[in-house]
Amino acid sequence: MDFSFSDEQTMLRQSVSQYLGRFYAFDQRQEIIGSERGTSAEVWQQLREFGLLALPFPEEVGGLGGSSTDVVAIAELFGEHLVSEPYLSSVVLTGRALAMVEQNDAAREWLAMITGGEALGAFAHEEGRGTADPARIATTATLGPDGYLLSGEKRLVLGGGDAQVLVVTARLLGAGHVEDELGIVLVTPDVSGVSLTTYRTIDGRKAANCTFDAAPVVLLVSDAATAIDGILEGAILTLSAEAVGAMNALVDTTASYAGTRQQFGVPIATFQAVAHRLADMKIALLKARSTLLYTTALVEAARAQARDISLLKAQVGRLGRAVAESAIQIHGGVGMTDEIAIGHYLKRILAIDAMFGDSDYHYRKVGAR
Amino acid sequence: MHIDFAPELDAFRQEVAAFLDTAPTAAIREAGRKTTSAFAPFDEVMEWQRILHRQGWAAPAWPVEFGGPGWSVEQRFIFAEEYCARDLPPLLPNCLQMVGPLLMELGTAEQQAKYLPRILAAEDYWTQGYSEPNSGSDLASLTCSAIADGDDYVINGSKIWTTLAHRSNRMFMLVRTSTEGKKQRGITFLLLDRTDYPGMTIRPIVGLDGLPEQCEVFFDDVRVPQSGRVGEENDGWTVAKALLKHERGGSAQGPFLRRRVRLIRDASTSASAPNGGVLADDSVFQRDLGEVEADVASYEYFEKLAISGHPVADDPAFPSVKKTMGTELTQKLSVLMTRVAGLESLPLQQEALTVGSSHPALSDEHDLIAMPFYLNSRATTIYAGTNEVQRDLIARSLPFAGRS
Repeated sequence: MDFSFSDEQTMLRQSVSQYLGRFYAFDQRQEIIGSERGTSAEVWQQLREFGLLALPFPEEVGGLGGSSTDVVAIAELFGEHLVSEPYLSSVVLTGRALAMVEQNDAAREWLAMITGGEALGAFAHEEGRGTADPARIATTATLGPDGYLLSGEKRLVLGGGDAQVLVVTARLLGAGHVEDELGIVLVTPDVSGVSLTTYRTIDGRKAANCTFDAAPVVLLVSDAATAIDGILEGAILTLSAEAVGAMNALVDTTASYAGTRQQFGVPIATFQAVAHRLADMKIALLKARSTLLYTTALVEAARAQARDISLLKAQVGRLGRAVAESAIQIHGGVGMTDEIAIGHYLKRILAIDAMFGDSDYHYRKVGAR
Repeated sequence: MHIDFAPELDAFRQEVAAFLDTAPTAAIREAGRKTTSAFAPFDEVMEWQRILHRQGWAAPAWPVEFGGPGWSVEQRFIFAEEYCARDLPPLLPNCLQMVGPLLMELGTAEQQAKYLPRILAAEDYWTQGYSEPNSGSDLASLTCSAIADGDDYVINGSKIWTTLAHRSNRMFMLVRTSTEGKKQRGITFLLLDRTDYPGMTIRPIVGLDGLPEQCEVFFDDVRVPQSGRVGEENDGWTVAKALLKHERGGSAQGPFLRRRVRLIRDASTSASAPNGGVLADDSVFQRDLGEVEADVASYEYFEKLAISGHPVADDPAFPSVKKTMGTELTQKLSVLMTRVAGLESLPLQQEALTVGSSHPALSDEHDLIAMPFYLNSRATTIYAGTNEVQRDLIARSLPFAGRS
């Protein structure tokens, strides 16, 4: 058994961490997400130079053949530095969906552009209540005389407004499809029948609600339930690593603050009520990190079951919230301001918990027989 | 990353499984099913230790020179996994995990030769004399005194929460040998060869679960030989701290907790849900079981990280984190057990709980042990240093926090 990062992973982490420390400090990050663009072309270019845009994909499709552990090792740093670039939406979600497709020129070309940093993709899956379970997808792609037409609404499509290509999950209807068959389709946002409402999310990200009204699409994957589970598994692992990185930053920052902030003539960390909150934060972090590393090893060994992924998602959601809420309490009034990072970590963790099934949903999956 | 134990350990696992399938008697298995505490039914668990000892497996963590099997941490974890898959009673901790390792670390060669083989063979059982009525978390304030007189010490005072003292033939204890200077400086660690010295009285205390697990021990001019001292006179605090490390860190608890989850799951498939149907299909129960099960998994992964050599185990707060997590999970599991048992947790069934009893349980064995287990588990966050004390230690391990 070995749950440590390899030497190569550690070296890559050091380089990325140094870069983010220098060019993605909290104030710089706030400037980037406060800009009209909301992301940074320079940072994205640098991530490309680190090889991160091509990291998770097999070499046959132009990737670097990186493992799940490689992505986790990097995503943890993204969480620690609150990186708001569209890595999850374009690379982890869309890129992985495209890389799964066999023998499709459009998919190959888009993937090459995404890994080359020339295009962004978005993965449109969630529809609102209940779609953490792909079996509840209501959007349809119907096969007619002129190919597939997509209808329905996707909500909270991360990076949807900036994407040149959308990869969409849908229920497949029409000749040749069995009942309840799921599919993955590709559409560009400029075709007829696609309309987007873009907005920012609480954690400074860009997202969109996408409405499809008989939009012509290309079918990438049919009978796609397993493929969708695989894409979501990668996303959940990445988000969980981000959450653990965020928790790590919260524990360090808050312990440090409690050790310096003086009230009643002593550091507040000397009060048992505060010290015990700090202890609980550390316990929560250790639980979350152990679960992340163990589950990552399960995924790498191709032994992770749906329950293992649910267990991880539920733990980081609940434990992450507890850590972030305690961090604000210990920081007191200053923790309530948008001017320091603490509250931004909370908002990131809240977003992570809400996406792809919240902790209640996943705990119930763990507890079901 | 590698998730698996080395493949050459598969044969070891099979060897362990084969032995554990056949070696325990029916009474030992029954004791395992009726264990409601960290302390399994005494006679059966001591018999089980003797059987394991004949196989050389009574003390997986002991080094070969003291009679251990010389297993790696991975082998010990595999042994614990197989052990817990079979509802066997956990061996009593006081000797094998506490005074034994302590003697290896700090005892004289003579003490080691005299005591360790008998501990291993389950010929002796040691009770722990630490707490006093007025010295709990503030253990260093203890007052039970020992005054040197010739080759002896003369002990006066009392000890409390001396687990299973009424079944023990030996005792290790902390006594006050000096009242000068810092309170930690006047404490001495003693080994008592008997628990029936003249002047020594043991009073069992009936616990919330109705069982006399704990005791109070009174000393009235009890004369014991000075040769039983471990370490120097007035340096017992150092010895005690070394022992606490063994008590809190302990062995792998994950497999025991996982076993409890499995039993709760099984029982929930036949328990009624509040609104009809079975509890296992109740969405609220599923949600709550899911959270506890996830926490058990996290705990187990934390332990696995530690045995794999991940730096998580190098943290000075590691024993405190492990103790806090493990005991609070035990309590959460105990709550689920009483929830599954429902009304069936209320009948008092001391007779049926006794190993070998001809009284059948009113409903089933899960319901039988649910309430005693719940009540007994209240103690887990109190003993071995309360979880409040553990949290103090954990907070102090954080960068900058707690430095004043």
